[in-house]
Amino acid sequence: MAAPELKSDALMEQMKKHLSTDAGKEITKKVGLVYQINIAPKKIGFDEVVYIVDLKKGELTKGPYEGGKPDATFSFKDEDFIKVATGKMNPQIAFMRGAMKIRGSLSAAQKFTPDIFPKPSKL
Amino acid sequence: MAMRELVSGGAACAVPGSSSSSNPLAALANAFTGSSSKTQERLKEVPVATPTGPEQFFPQPDEHLRALPGSELDGAFLPPNAQGSAFMRTFRSAYQNDFSDAWDEVQPGPLPPVAADMRVGPVPQSPPTLEGPPQRMLSGLLHSFVGSSHGGIPFRPAQLPMLGLSEGDKRCIRDRSTIMARHFFADKSEDFINAQVNALLHSLDIDSDVRGRGPLPGRFREMEDYWNESQGMMRPGPHVADGWANEFNQLRVNHGNPESWAHSFEQQHGANGWASEFEQEHSQLMSTDRMRGTNVPNVAAMEQTRMLAHTLAQNNDPKFQNSKFLQFVSKMSRGELIFDDNQVKPASGDWASEFQQQYNAGPSWADEYVQHDGPDQWASEFATEREQHRSVDDQWVNEFSKLNVNDWADEFGQQVAEGAFGESTGDDWANAYEEYFNEQVAMKQRSDSSRGVYVFSDMNPYVGHPNPLKEGQELFRKGLLSEAILALEAEVLKNPNNSEGWRLLGIAHAENDDDQQAIAAMMKAEEADPTNLEVLLALGVSHTNELEQAAALRYLYGWLHHHPKYKALTSLETPESFYHADVARLYNDAAEMSPEDADVHIVLGVLYNLSREYDRAIASFQTALKLKPHDYSLWNKLGATQANSVQSADAILAYQRALDLKPNYVRAWANMGISYANQGMYEDSIRYYVRALAMNPKADNAWQYLRISLSSASRQDMLEACDSRNLDVLQKEFPL
Repeated sequence: MAAPELKSDALMEQMKKHLSTDAGKEITKKVGLVYQINIAPKKIGFDEVVYIVDLKKGELTKGPYEGGKPDATFSFKDEDFIKVATGKMNPQIAFMRGAMKIRGSLSAAQKFTPDIFPKPSKL
Repeated sequence: MAMRELVSGGAACAVPGSSSSSNPLAALANAFTGSSSKTQERLKEVPVATPTGPEQFFPQPDEHLRALPGSELDGAFLPPNAQGSAFMRTFRSAYQNDFSDAWDEVQPGPLPPVAADMRVGPVPQSPPTLEGPPQRMLSGLLHSFVGSSHGGIPFRPAQLPMLGLSEGDKRCIRDRSTIMARHFFADKSEDFINAQVNALLHSLDIDSDVRGRGPLPGRFREMEDYWNESQGMMRPGPHVADGWANEFNQLRVNHGNPESWAHSFEQQHGANGWASEFEQEHSQLMSTDRMRGTNVPNVAAMEQTRMLAHTLAQNNDPKFQNSKFLQFVSKMSRGELIFDDNQVKPASGDWASEFQQQYNAGPSWADEYVQHDGPDQWASEFATEREQHRSVDDQWVNEFSKLNVNDWADEFGQQVAEGAFGESTGDDWANAYEEYFNEQVAMKQRSDSSRGVYVFSDMNPYVGHPNPLKEGQELFRKGLLSEAILALEAEVLKNPNNSEGWRLLGIAHAENDDDQQAIAAMMKAEEADPTNLEVLLALGVSHTNELEQAAALRYLYGWLHHHPKYKALTSLETPESFYHADVARLYNDAAEMSPEDADVHIVLGVLYNLSREYDRAIASFQTALKLKPHDYSLWNKLGATQANSVQSADAILAYQRALDLKPNYVRAWANMGISYANQGMYEDSIRYYVRALAMNPKADNAWQYLRISLSSASRQDMLEACDSRNLDVLQKEFPL
């Protein structure tokens, strides 16, 4: 726990577990795509942490994708990813603001919605 | 008085080149540069677009002003000089600044005078008041001057009565007209420019003495040297005219290198927003050049733009074509959007708007174009923006337009052809744009609370209550959280240093599922009483919920550090930063010392949540619950931990215990909804969210989650009720 970590790490970890539940498997079945999500602590493109949300296999891994080319790649700042994943920010708005950058297939990108992520509960 | 404003615009005039439109001359400049970027896009699409002569502009300015569209854009957030490009400005700058910066940038508001001095920050805008006849005359004269720029027709001076301009006014007009003339007549000879300006000045009875103007803007070489020497030293010139001239030249000189300009400026002034403002000016200037056909550097990029536009155009979905978004773009392309401000009154003869309008009124192709090829507009606008900023926004733009526009365009075209998007795409985007604007307003309101500033309710009936603290405690005990919050707000308004008032207020907000307000209140409580253990624990919990690990650790360490029993465990000096493992170890020591202290186990549970060691966290909370079985917030903490470690079924049982103990516990209701949603039981989750919201309609998180659940449950029919926060409808539809 030495390095200051990303808020998104918590969400990704939850997502990872979530994918093993029935609801998670449902999402995998529904989406069936592989997303790469780059998360930067402060500025997009710098010190990015790479996550692969594989909704073909129902897996979430850290580090570059080894199974070829992801269907779509998103880049976020840490804060903005949290906002999009928890429904505080509409992905299209995030895109227009440049808070979310996309490469790859547009139709794949369109399936990237906040409802594929589990929501964090509050103590 | 109005006369003075017209010309001098107060401080804005003394500071040459200010972009303030409180001065009509500045407005002229704004209008010119603002409109040019739009015109440029049109010129790209229609290479044969011809400059329009003044005669086309003049006949109906008033009609245009009367035809202000009552549009989807509320005047409230488009200041007069923000024009249609306000959106693009924010869009553009969002890549490097927070949105709020960008918003601040387009927002008229009081600024420290230094900003005005530097002529880069936004300057308070107010539509110029031009009611009186002399103002009309001056306005008309300046208009025809501008008009002459379009056709390249020599400006014919008109004889005006004495306008009573002061020396300063005159100097101001002279200096600015000279600069502007150089913008307008960039493709004309120096002699022509001088003749134009002299004609204008003569009719205004202003001495066109060149010597009085200081360095001539035309002497680029000299200015370039000056600029190179003083890179970033943005100091106002010795003379009024110098600043303008300098700016003009700096912008020009830096055509090739806008980035260094932005950077040095940023270094100098430390404000990102300003840099982007300058980029913008730069790009506008650049587009001016392009429009004049003197500088068309990037043919390849234009090619890409056109290609993207072309593929987008193939979407003939009438929904898209008729969407408000397209109307918006269309209006923007015609320059109408700049009038969408209630403050701009038709009679005021607002220079900027009139100019803008005239500038855009000529070619009516924009309308037709949108009708036929709707999406092109959007595409080209979008791509043009990117392309303009390539040199500055290197990451984003290069990546996007160089590498990906082809991909995207192809793919988009293909997918449109295949009907991959169904019918909703156009609407989605249109809606997103509307949301975007709504959000701007909301963001403004919310920005306070996100900065940790407590936001008080309006219309608080408890203000003036003899003992609001007691009332608040009473209400809190009864479980009437929202009422208790009002009473406690009245208390802390009365006694701002009452730690207990703030603390309970914070607790009430946390239970009401509003962590932002909870944190704001708790920080006030901490200010009033820095060693209050409950406050420190509550702050630790709230920051954990917000995933702010460093802050959470600091408060949780503070709890131990100030605890009479455990402070011996901590070192005398509070370390600068904390390692989770160290803090956890201290708490484990504490737990060994007194295993019967439920609070220590509670903090441990929070700590393990922070490090996502959920099994340990659950064990800690369970231990604490054995000691404190009636602590409803503890049951909720256990539930939330179980939920976050994906044991949703267990979590629901724990929440149920919490709600048995405290039926109005909004947070537990909302958490309940989350657990159902995370199990894919969206219908159930909706009922719990609605229940939570019925108790606290201000729980923003719950509204967002409700929206997600509604769409996941295919209840789009209820989205409108959700967006308008219509609880009556929602409660009727989703009773619990």
